[in-house]
Amino acid sequence: MTLLNGILAFGAAAFAIPLLIHLLNRSRFRTVEWGAMHLLESVLRVNQRRVRLEQIILLLVRCAIPAVLAFCLARPVLTGWQTLPGDAPASTVILLDNSYSMDVADNGRKRLAEAIDQAGQVVAALARGSEIAVVQTGGKPQPVLDRPIFDVKTMIQQLRLVRGGYGAADPAESLEAGLGILSGMANARRDLVYFSDFQHSDWDATPRDRLQRIRRRIEEMPIRPTVTFVDLGRSVEENVSVDSLEFSTRALGVDEDLQIRATLRNHGPRAHDAARARFRIDGLEQSASQIALPAKAAAQVLFTCRFKTPGSHLVEVEAAVDDRLPTDNRYAAAVPVLERIGVLLVDGAPSDQPLEGETDFLSVALTPYTFGRAKLSDLIETKTVPPGELNEKAVAGARVVVLANVPKLSDDQVGLLGRYVHGGGSLLVFSGNKIDIAWYNKALYSDGSGLLPMTVDAAAGSGQADAKSSRIVAQHFEHPALEIFNDRENGNLADAEIRKWYRLSRVRQSVAEAGVTPVSTGASSEPFVLARLETGDPLIVQRRIGEGLVVQVATACDAEWSNLPMRPIYLPLMQHLITTMASQVVPPCNFEAGRPLVAVLPGESQAEPLALTSPDGTRRTVRPVARGTQSMVEYARTLEPGVYTLVGSDARPLHFVARTPRAESDLRMLDEKRLASLAADLGADVVRSGREYLELDRSRRHGREIWKYLLAGVLGLMFLELVLQQRFARVRT
Amino acid sequence: MAISQVSDYLTPHDLGKLANLQVLARKVVEGFCSGLHRSPHKGFSVEFKEHRPYVRGDEVRSIDWKVFGKTDRLYIREHEQETNLRSTILLDTSGSMAYCGPRAKEVSKHDYAVRLTACLAYLMLGQQDSVGLVTFDREVRRYIPPRGRASHLRAMLDELAKSRPQFETELSEVFHELAAKIHRRSLVIIISDCFGEVDSLLKALARFRHARHDMIVFQIWDPDELDFPFRQWTQFQSLETPANRRLVDPAHLRHAYLENLKRFREQLTAGCRRHRIDLVPMTTDQPYAEALASYLAIRRRLK
Repeated sequence: MTLLNGILAFGAAAFAIPLLIHLLNRSRFRTVEWGAMHLLESVLRVNQRRVRLEQIILLLVRCAIPAVLAFCLARPVLTGWQTLPGDAPASTVILLDNSYSMDVADNGRKRLAEAIDQAGQVVAALARGSEIAVVQTGGKPQPVLDRPIFDVKTMIQQLRLVRGGYGAADPAESLEAGLGILSGMANARRDLVYFSDFQHSDWDATPRDRLQRIRRRIEEMPIRPTVTFVDLGRSVEENVSVDSLEFSTRALGVDEDLQIRATLRNHGPRAHDAARARFRIDGLEQSASQIALPAKAAAQVLFTCRFKTPGSHLVEVEAAVDDRLPTDNRYAAAVPVLERIGVLLVDGAPSDQPLEGETDFLSVALTPYTFGRAKLSDLIETKTVPPGELNEKAVAGARVVVLANVPKLSDDQVGLLGRYVHGGGSLLVFSGNKIDIAWYNKALYSDGSGLLPMTVDAAAGSGQADAKSSRIVAQHFEHPALEIFNDRENGNLADAEIRKWYRLSRVRQSVAEAGVTPVSTGASSEPFVLARLETGDPLIVQRRIGEGLVVQVATACDAEWSNLPMRPIYLPLMQHLITTMASQVVPPCNFEAGRPLVAVLPGESQAEPLALTSPDGTRRTVRPVARGTQSMVEYARTLEPGVYTLVGSDARPLHFVARTPRAESDLRMLDEKRLASLAADLGADVVRSGREYLELDRSRRHGREIWKYLLAGVLGLMFLELVLQQRFARVRT
Repeated sequence: MAISQVSDYLTPHDLGKLANLQVLARKVVEGFCSGLHRSPHKGFSVEFKEHRPYVRGDEVRSIDWKVFGKTDRLYIREHEQETNLRSTILLDTSGSMAYCGPRAKEVSKHDYAVRLTACLAYLMLGQQDSVGLVTFDREVRRYIPPRGRASHLRAMLDELAKSRPQFETELSEVFHELAAKIHRRSLVIIISDCFGEVDSLLKALARFRHARHDMIVFQIWDPDELDFPFRQWTQFQSLETPANRRLVDPAHLRHAYLENLKRFREQLTAGCRRHRIDLVPMTTDQPYAEALASYLAIRRRLK
């Protein structure tokens, strides 16, 4: 129980006034010498006890009137219900759903604009001294300001700056974020208001037990907040979205064909027989295609393009249909077009004879057009050197260095390779009959702190086509370099016969036994087996070292130890392996919104600032940081989906696209019953607008402020006093 | 203070109102003096009543010879005998008669009753009627037998001047006592507030009626006693027994008091009607002469 005007409660002492009047009247009586005593006495005899009782009752009622009135004026509030009155400051957290489904236009106005207006009304109606925080829930819950503020005007301005189009909202995470902010706020009244369209897709993905955990958390909070859902959603059935873009290749060179497969989905019950899909490159329309979109089904459309210039390009597919959510009708992706991928082949067993050298097959597989004298140009450019010529000059410009059957290297060369890999280079190591196993294990593996992912143990197999040979296990390949072989039409790795190989293993115990602390390799990861032989031995293993990547193959790259080079799969395998290695060390330029944007700047290390343009058009200056031999830019605030463009001093743009899943394109909203059930699970109330919320809030507060009832009580007591006075004066004979 | 002049009680204006009125008994009352009142005794009188045939034993002198001369039959001429009214005024001088409310203009019930008595005495003596006076409270204090002389008024006025309201009332006992004293049929006028047990009072009045007295009860009220106008806390002190005090909030008791009063008056009125006693309530704020005149007018109408 709290009194708002506590000082007025002292007015309750006014109960003494009727008492004093009573006593004063009794003491200041007049004396009348009375004749008709016999009439009076008989009345007194019958009524004396009644009159005394009635006087006490009447006196109590009269005393109660000023006391209750004073109590009423003191405006008592039942704090047992954990609420405070209207003019008491509140701590309010507004969760504002700015996921892209809020871009649906109802009556020509976006839901988000409506939500911002209504949230503004709620903020404006808060009492002075109220603490306000707004969390935008699209993609990942993120407070609009770093900390709650007290300034209503500033918060309304900030609300107007909230942009839509963000990824799907996670209601549970949003609620938890809101409660987390609320628990750190100061005022005794706490409100959590969630403005959203309450989509099926968002809430269906939220397990019920998680909601129950949130409910428990709400109940266990020292000051229990009120939770209100402001439902702004109206189910819309018709919607078409572009769900994804898939590319035919990972690394793309100039003048190479790129096939882009766009998936369009019709979420509505009405079929679109001739929907147009437009394809744009760098904002210019390249082609358009008509596609039939059956009701509630997806369809794919294929675009082929070719880039004349290297660098970062932006492709976009737009479904030109008229629906109420245009945001998901476009899908963009950044395509880096490489000029060349320089590959340095270090041949450990060179030969003058064609295809007799260790790297001959590999060289052909990597540059088929050059060998075939075709007009087309190869993306990969190889350079073959003997081990002795492996030096800084040779390594410079190479994205991948391949050691093929190299017996051993000098310490300088090992150091060079170490720096190269740590700085972001890729190293591919093939085995062979010439390699010095002991040296490999000592200098390159170096008890796990070296470059090799695994130690090289004894050779297996006979080198002849006999029973001891093995094959690659036909499994589902996780690694991007081998992904294409999951589709048997692209070839079967198991066709190749591996006749001889080295057993690769991890020897960690020796380090422990020796009591030697392993040399730190920086941010090295655990070795990862890309492919195994039927014997269980690893064939291809990979390990990230620093910024770079090392792939170790247990067999040779020529035809001596396997028939792999003779198989059709050799070319795509090597091509994909090399391009993947070359591109994997390059951070992705299409990523999920919210993940950090990482750009590796081409050329030498540079420290000049770059301009980064966000999807909302704001430009920031970012400074690159040196990582090994390269310089990189990292930018973490990529929650807003769209195109981020980085422009350096050379004026060549680097595009990055932050994408969102298209789950929200299904615009079915929770029906009233379901929403009510969810609200009941969370102990929340559901309203349809900010105004309704304010009314509810008022009724919540007034319902618990009891001055009205007390005033009614005062009036009741006054009426009772009148009635009693009349009644008590009645005859009792 | 010696109040012995009629004018001390009756103003010329009051007397003027009463000049043309005569107190006429509704019933035939025995009386010594001939006057305005009819007597059941036929005899020598001026006013002829009727003729009746002569029967043996009638006095010869009452034979109407003129009729005999005309009709040759003997008729007795009968006259209606007029008698004087013999009345006794019973004046209550108990303590309760001392009450004087603010609206009574300093005329207490006792003062009012004394003036009323004087007025009646003057009126009756003026008509050659005999008037007696009894003052009483819990016992008879003074008894002046009825006389018809004009000088009798002074004796009565002296007694009225000496009377003081005091002591308790005990109407029934006093009336029983007086009923035994007043032997001859007469008009008994009681001037009192009649406070006391209604039943015993009615029994006492019935005693008078049993003695075939004609009765008028002038019940004197102060306006305060009729409407109980008190608001603030009041200590009521009995005028008859000063030790009896009651501190009450009159507002709480008013309705009950009025109801009790109403019941008391209804019982009294009903009892008086049953015994054919005229009950005339009078309040001290109304001019007693007017009240008296209006009573006499009613009385005359009933005749």
